[in-house]
Amino acid sequence: MLDVHNLSKAFGGLQVTRNVSFKLEQGERRVILGPNGAGKTTLFNLLVGELKPTAGDILVGGTSISGMSVSQRSRMGLSRSYQKNNLFEDLTVRENLTLAAAAAQGKIAWLVKDSFRDRGVKEAVEEAAELVSLTDLLDTPVKAASYGNRRQLEVGIALATRPKLLLMDEPTSGVGPSMIEGFHRLLKSLPEELTVLIIEHDMDLAFDVADRITVLNFGEVVFEGTPDETRGNPVVRDIYLGDWQQDA
Amino acid sequence: MFHQTPTRSIVLVFALVALALYAIYGGYFAREIVVEIAILAILAISIDVVAGFGGMVSLCHGAIMGVSAYTYGILTAKLGYPALPSAVAAIGAAAVFGTVVGWITARTTGIYFIMATLAFGQMAYTVIFKSRWLGGDDGMGGLPRFDFDWAGIAMNKSLPFALYALLLVLLCYVAAAWVMRSAFGRTLCGIHSNEPRMRAIGVSTIIHRARAMGFSGLLAGVAGIIAGQHIQYISPELLFWTVSGEALIVVILGGLGTLIGPMIGAIAFVLLKHELSGYTDHWHIVVGLVLIATVLAGGRGLYGQIEHWMTRRKARGAAQNA
Amino acid sequence: MDAGFWVLQFLNALQYSMLLFLLSIGLTVIFGLLHFVNLAHGALYMMGAYLGISAAALTGSYWGAFILAPLGVTAIGALLYFTLIDRLRGAGPMNQVLVTFGLIFVFLDIARLGWGDIALGLDAPAGLSGTSNLLGVSYPTYRLFIIGLGAVVMAVLWLVLARTQIGAMIRASVENGDMAAAMGINVGRLFFAVFCVGCALAGLAGVVAAPVFSATTGMGISILIPTLIVVVIGGLGSLQGAIAGSLIVGLIETVGAAFLPSFAAVASYLLLAAILVLRPQGLIPARGT
Repeated sequence: MLDVHNLSKAFGGLQVTRNVSFKLEQGERRVILGPNGAGKTTLFNLLVGELKPTAGDILVGGTSISGMSVSQRSRMGLSRSYQKNNLFEDLTVRENLTLAAAAAQGKIAWLVKDSFRDRGVKEAVEEAAELVSLTDLLDTPVKAASYGNRRQLEVGIALATRPKLLLMDEPTSGVGPSMIEGFHRLLKSLPEELTVLIIEHDMDLAFDVADRITVLNFGEVVFEGTPDETRGNPVVRDIYLGDWQQDA
Repeated sequence: MFHQTPTRSIVLVFALVALALYAIYGGYFAREIVVEIAILAILAISIDVVAGFGGMVSLCHGAIMGVSAYTYGILTAKLGYPALPSAVAAIGAAAVFGTVVGWITARTTGIYFIMATLAFGQMAYTVIFKSRWLGGDDGMGGLPRFDFDWAGIAMNKSLPFALYALLLVLLCYVAAAWVMRSAFGRTLCGIHSNEPRMRAIGVSTIIHRARAMGFSGLLAGVAGIIAGQHIQYISPELLFWTVSGEALIVVILGGLGTLIGPMIGAIAFVLLKHELSGYTDHWHIVVGLVLIATVLAGGRGLYGQIEHWMTRRKARGAAQNA
Repeated sequence: MDAGFWVLQFLNALQYSMLLFLLSIGLTVIFGLLHFVNLAHGALYMMGAYLGISAAALTGSYWGAFILAPLGVTAIGALLYFTLIDRLRGAGPMNQVLVTFGLIFVFLDIARLGWGDIALGLDAPAGLSGTSNLLGVSYPTYRLFIIGLGAVVMAVLWLVLARTQIGAMIRASVENGDMAAAMGINVGRLFFAVFCVGCALAGLAGVVAAPVFSATTGMGISILIPTLIVVVIGGLGSLQGAIAGSLIVGLIETVGAAFLPSFAAVASYLLLAAILVLRPQGLIPARGT
């Protein structure tokens, strides 16, 4: 499904991504772990095209997407949610989701028909709202929504495009335990054929949902394996899991 | 997001009927004013499409209007083609010019977009100003009006022409309102709200912004045709950046992002100008101060402010009922 | 075309460049610091010319005007700062453009009310009214004075910015305003001071230009566009950019106009558009990339 091949990125002399390679099978749930500054978000930016790699290639379903723009990749089925909320702030929840659904369905340039009244778009909006538990808040202006709801909407926008590959950048960042549980349920309820790549700091959640885990450090893949293998790996423990081991 | 509310429809019909009555009973001078309002209203609506909905504050719309007027002048007065197809071609030329400027400037935002549109508008102005074939700063005369004699309408009379101009205002408003509440307008609002996220969900924002400038240019092109036919003479002044600035003022005075506001703004602006110039030479200072006050008061404009009060009252009423 | 012709064109370009420099330096530093686009900067230039003419009549001397006009314009600028500019700093470029566009209208009528609609002249000071011989051409001494004045202002500003503590504070604030504020720089007072200096220089440009071009109500609008072009192609907020931009635009619009009149008129707009599309940070960016 996704084949990342020797991906590298440097800002001037600063190497932030070094020869990163990994493969995702369709339907796989992959969690990316790594300390702050390990280059996780940079990796996402490279995958969706917001940054251009200095070397390496990205293939989706066998075709290289390296030369494609952000919007082209999105139309290929790549969708991404952000660590910092990146919403349409002056619109309502429904309008946020509708823009995403309409864009993904290519209903963006009709001069006469209204995409907001299109049945296909509405279905995708309701589906996404259901998944992120925002059905009751659809007509709330984003400005009036709580931080937790905005986090849900952040993921909802990505889902409303009905992606094939979903990249979630710390969906639980800054939210409380009950909300984390909500995201946990959300991840479990996602369609099985959807491939998901998540950057996540909450260990319980990460180990529970992940099929495999990739650990980044200093921009490099230092480990890849199943959750069980990850728990037992001394390298991973050294650079990252010290805190977690104590908690457990 | 644009909504054609009942209030907006009522205001639109009321304003157009009032202007028509003014033209019918007000005599020659009133008809001149009505045409002036019509040109400014269409130009302001076309700017509202890009500035109010797309967040693209353009200072080249005067130039787009001028491109249409000059294309019409070249095709009719210079090359002798019939008026109607020439007008269609001229509006098309304005749309193409708008699209090209929109495409080239689509990577810029904020003050850089304002400056870039200024640059392209001034380029068009300078080219025409310097062109001896186009009459340079003397302008170009002999632009024909449409010939509707076969239908018994004498377009060279002031009243039919004023009513024709009002009809075009209606058409342009309906076209703009329709497109703004279609998928196209929704996408444009999304780009205004958060352009990077629009790209992330799969919209080629550059192409869409260029299209928006093209559609807006088409409307400005209609204004150019009326301007050319009105006094049947055009000059490069039509393209100068202050024309766009003035139209932008009209949009702000009326209410940015409402479509109907710019029309109300055009009526208020032209009437104010003619009223004031009866008392004083110095209407500029009044317009300047009103503009500054409008922006400082929150920038909603005349119509926007009224709508704001109405929704607040409705919200308060709903809160009391609950 | 002999060498004398070239020298003449070059001096004309230089003199125009210096006026553009005096205007654009204020505009660009104000943008760099306050992120504020002041379209009324040209109107301040016009006010400088008119106030200069009145001050000259009052004091009976050009030099009276030379001192008083920039002070008068600074006072106007201070008034604007406290009533409008400070309030609009975070209001976005559209509101700033609109309000300062409104100010253009206001100043236009103030000038017409105060000084009438006819072009007013100002006599160059006695010692500078003749012509001088330079590189084989005779050139009006007063215009040489403008060139010299521009060079002096350039040098002083460069020294202040590069060598003094205030200059370091300004550079730091342009580079990163939040950081500068965090380091304890009184950003508000610094902004106000810089804004005043910018206004004073615009006023100075106005009074200095009056003997050459006469004062007209349209002078503010017609100088505004070339000044904006200078600021953008040089790089918003950049001192070196303003110098480079002034020289480029000055050369294009005078020397270019002498050789390729129809092309020169479009050339500076072409350059502006090209810079905005290809290199929006300008030729000499104010910030490191």
